[in-house]
Amino acid sequence: MKQAKPATRRTGKPEVTAPGAKKPAGVAPGAKKAAPSTAKAPRAARSPRAKPEPPPVVVEVTSLRKTYGSTVAVDDIDLTVRRGSMFGVVGPNGAGKTTTLSMITGLLRPDSGTVLVAGSDVWRDPIAAKRVTGVLPDRMRLFDRLTGAQLLYYCGMLHGLDRSTASSRTEDLGVALGIEGSLNRPVRDYSIGMVKKISLAAAMIHSPRVLVLDEPFESVDPVSTSQAIDLLQRYTASGGTVLLSSHNMALVERVCDSVAVIVDGSVLAVGTLDEVRGKQSLEERFVELAGGRVAVEGLEWLTTFSD
Amino acid sequence: MVDHILRLKLALLGSAFRGAASAVRALLVLVLAGGVGAALILLAREVQVDRADHRAALIIVASAIALGIVVAPLSAGLGSALEPRRFAAFPVPRGQLALGLMLAGVIGIPGALAVTLGIAFEIAWADTDKAGLAILAGVIGAIVLVMVSQYLVAVTAQLAVSSAAVRMITAAARLTIALALGAAAMAVLLVQSGDDTEGLIEVASVVAATPLGFLWAAPGGVDAEIAWRLFGGAVAVAALVAAWPWVVSRIVEAPQRIRSAPAIRGLGWFDLVPATASAAIAARSLLYWTRDARYRAVIIALPVAPALMMVALALAGAPVPLLWLIPVPVFALFLGWFSHNDVAYDHSAMWMHVAAPLRGFSDRWGRVVPPLLIGTPLILLASPLAALWSEVPDVYPAVVGTGLGLLLTGLGVSSVSSALTPYPAARPGAGPWDQPPLIGAAAGWVQSFTLLAILAFMSPSLTLAVMGLLDEDPEMLELAGWAGGATGFGMLVLGILIGGFVFRRRAPELLGLLMRT
Repeated sequence: MKQAKPATRRTGKPEVTAPGAKKPAGVAPGAKKAAPSTAKAPRAARSPRAKPEPPPVVVEVTSLRKTYGSTVAVDDIDLTVRRGSMFGVVGPNGAGKTTTLSMITGLLRPDSGTVLVAGSDVWRDPIAAKRVTGVLPDRMRLFDRLTGAQLLYYCGMLHGLDRSTASSRTEDLGVALGIEGSLNRPVRDYSIGMVKKISLAAAMIHSPRVLVLDEPFESVDPVSTSQAIDLLQRYTASGGTVLLSSHNMALVERVCDSVAVIVDGSVLAVGTLDEVRGKQSLEERFVELAGGRVAVEGLEWLTTFSD
Repeated sequence: MVDHILRLKLALLGSAFRGAASAVRALLVLVLAGGVGAALILLAREVQVDRADHRAALIIVASAIALGIVVAPLSAGLGSALEPRRFAAFPVPRGQLALGLMLAGVIGIPGALAVTLGIAFEIAWADTDKAGLAILAGVIGAIVLVMVSQYLVAVTAQLAVSSAAVRMITAAARLTIALALGAAAMAVLLVQSGDDTEGLIEVASVVAATPLGFLWAAPGGVDAEIAWRLFGGAVAVAALVAAWPWVVSRIVEAPQRIRSAPAIRGLGWFDLVPATASAAIAARSLLYWTRDARYRAVIIALPVAPALMMVALALAGAPVPLLWLIPVPVFALFLGWFSHNDVAYDHSAMWMHVAAPLRGFSDRWGRVVPPLLIGTPLILLASPLAALWSEVPDVYPAVVGTGLGLLLTGLGVSSVSSALTPYPAARPGAGPWDQPPLIGAAAGWVQSFTLLAILAFMSPSLTLAVMGLLDEDPEMLELAGWAGGATGFGMLVLGILIGGFVFRRRAPELLGLLMRT
């Protein structure tokens, strides 16, 4: 597992979720564009609220790294997610969000680095880690010839539930996500939004400690999104932890209490929502971090209409 | 309105000549059709209907060509087929639509060939006292052909829900046409050579009894039979004409082609198996074996391979009873071998197994259950029959032993190879004959290597069986059976254990491989 890796600034975990913006020292030659230097300032200075006892860390990612040939997809990322938190990973397209989440869930082997979920190393002791993780991957198929109910039952069996638990949870999740009427239809007949919902149900059926959700609300309608968020908030309120990625800043701002901004495989800002966004909206802060608006030049012809 | 539809049909026919490639194709089809038409007319002039063998050939040729004409519209791929549902969105009066579609069926190559067939049939019977009856039969026959073919297009278009299905239908239609032309040519050659006219007449009498040759056999019969056949033809025309508007409006008014599957109560297979991970995987796998076209094609194709081998060897002069020893082992070998790429059929849905706290053993064992459930009973049932028909004494233990051994060894080898070396397979939802975008040379190596590995592991038992056969040694045959069974059991257990270990170790890499395809 140990491989030569660029000097990592921090290996010991600080108390707060605060690895400062880390400079990708001399790496990322194949990265699409150099991260702007303006974005390197540490996130807005808000002193961490002095809480006596922060909740325990549930997901701990240390120096996680993944390269594809000369392209560095994920560049020594550190993340710390605490119990009861709704942690949002945001970033532009191709920033490495999905790669990071896949390595956290055991779907993609990292080149180096460690992932601890509830104390178990995902890559040393996968069975223990996967028992407590619920996964919703992006753009992966389901066994779509199964009906929704069969799929949820199947997922329950894979996670070692017994028959009656799997069945009753299937019903509960169906009602909670508003898909109880479609559970007896094959998943292949579902719309994209319904597929997301059944996937969310499948991720939750074994009542994991941690939910890792990749773009859980993409193509889900607002009503269903609210339903799902209610469900997730109830889950975190009772001690569950959610790690999700999204493009939708407004949504992340609404539901997440902590945020990490990932650009070109590096964490540019991380902390509580207020720490990251400062006085701005999350979207403004994100655009600033991700490289700002590039002035559109060379498209003058677009402003002179042909007729 | 009717003339609109006819004009549309002409425009569609004309469009076949647009673009160089499609013009060449259309030209080839035209040449083929023209050749068939010309051959029909020329042959019709040669026929001497007073000779029984000529009459028989006439019936066979006419029936074969009729079959080809009926399926001909499907062979073009349904892409621009004029079928009722295409007009569902337009306010066309149903009666006119039905009439227009029917008339449009006459325009085009199949219609022209149907008319040619009728004319050729009449030419054949001209200058006899049954010429008038033949004209009647020819006219009725041509009309029936055109109408049946319209029905076929309308019904098939309902069934052609996916592009894979369309391709399958097109391929089947083309195959049918090729077979029909072959049968017609064969009949002509046979009658010219003068050999085996007995057989020809026998075949003709069978064909005459089917709807296919019902009309074409009419003039050749005696009075009552002629009347009966012509009456039958007339009734058919009347029924086809009467039902057509109803069929058209039914199709147009119920345009949805994919009816959502009926709601399934309960969990199907999942309710029948124990509540464990392996059992759930077995149930899921079984569901895919029975529902997924990619698996179903294999189940259908599996019995064909041994049958073809038997026919080929029989033609080559091998003693037929002995050939009955082939089906069981060959079937078992291929059924076991088929699973060697099972994981690839899941595509990226495999993530569920990777993300779950799943023992590799459970995954492997679950996937082995469906072929075991299909294969074991079949082998146990077929072996005594095969042993009996082979007329070799005491061969039963060897047949059943090597059969089970090949199946189990195959599943053991597959358990390892599908975790170790999967290669791209047709995607879920694709047709059984769809190929993945890239296969690469690896697929060929994996396929041959796994097959050879199964045979190598089973070689002790197979060698014993062959030796037992040659020496007619019952003890050796029994030993071969036991050896086969033991090898199979050992290899299955070993394969599942090793495969499970490999699967657990390589699961993320497997997933990455499957996602790239």
